[in-house]
Amino acid sequence: MNEERKKILEMLREGKVTVEEAEKLLVALTSPEETKPSAEKPACKYLKILVEPGSQSEDQERVNIRVPIKLIRAGLKWAAFIPKHAHSSINQALHEKGIDIDFAKVTPEDIEELVSQINDLTVEVEGKDKVRICCE
Amino acid sequence: MMPMLMRLKVSRNPNGSGVMLPVFFVWILLFALMVILFPFVLIAALFTWRSGQGKWLLLTYPLLVSVLFNLSGLHIEIEHSDENILIAFL
Repeated sequence: MNEERKKILEMLREGKVTVEEAEKLLVALTSPEETKPSAEKPACKYLKILVEPGSQSEDQERVNIRVPIKLIRAGLKWAAFIPKHAHSSINQALHEKGIDIDFAKVTPEDIEELVSQINDLTVEVEGKDKVRICCE
Repeated sequence: MMPMLMRLKVSRNPNGSGVMLPVFFVWILLFALMVILFPFVLIAALFTWRSGQGKWLLLTYPLLVSVLFNLSGLHIEIEHSDENILIAFL
């Protein structure tokens, strides 16, 4: 909560402004981005992974994988089957890759939120091979 | 909807269309197997309920079904100079 909002609420508590006035002030404070309905992006149906040989690559291997988002969701539910004693090994493996999260604390809600935000994901890496991960 | 057909291609010719496999036969067999195994799974779940694993045993059924139902649209294609592999669920 920012300072202005706090100030308005304090004024309301002290009786300096009425509820209606406070409401008007709070609405006025809301940024245009917040009031404007977000532009609806078409829902992402597939996660696409493309690997193409780069200009310096000798290998001419191409990989094209398209995974339905619904399948990712369904597959992630299997994570609940990972035994608790394996969590420490997972955490260690993640830590070695530079990801410092506690796997035991990852809830199905977190995973759901992660998958729902996948719409905006685009990864492009151009090295020896060109790798593109995106949604479509 | 569960995928009814699977397009499989393992060939050296990049223009080859591969074969269409009726995977619904596999689903029928799988569901029959699941029905046959269900009483055993239920007994195992009852015996392991206290350890907490019984719940997971029972959950395998809906989770497996949800994975199968969402396989439609999965497309894996690997093109190599020697060989082309394509697996697609339709």
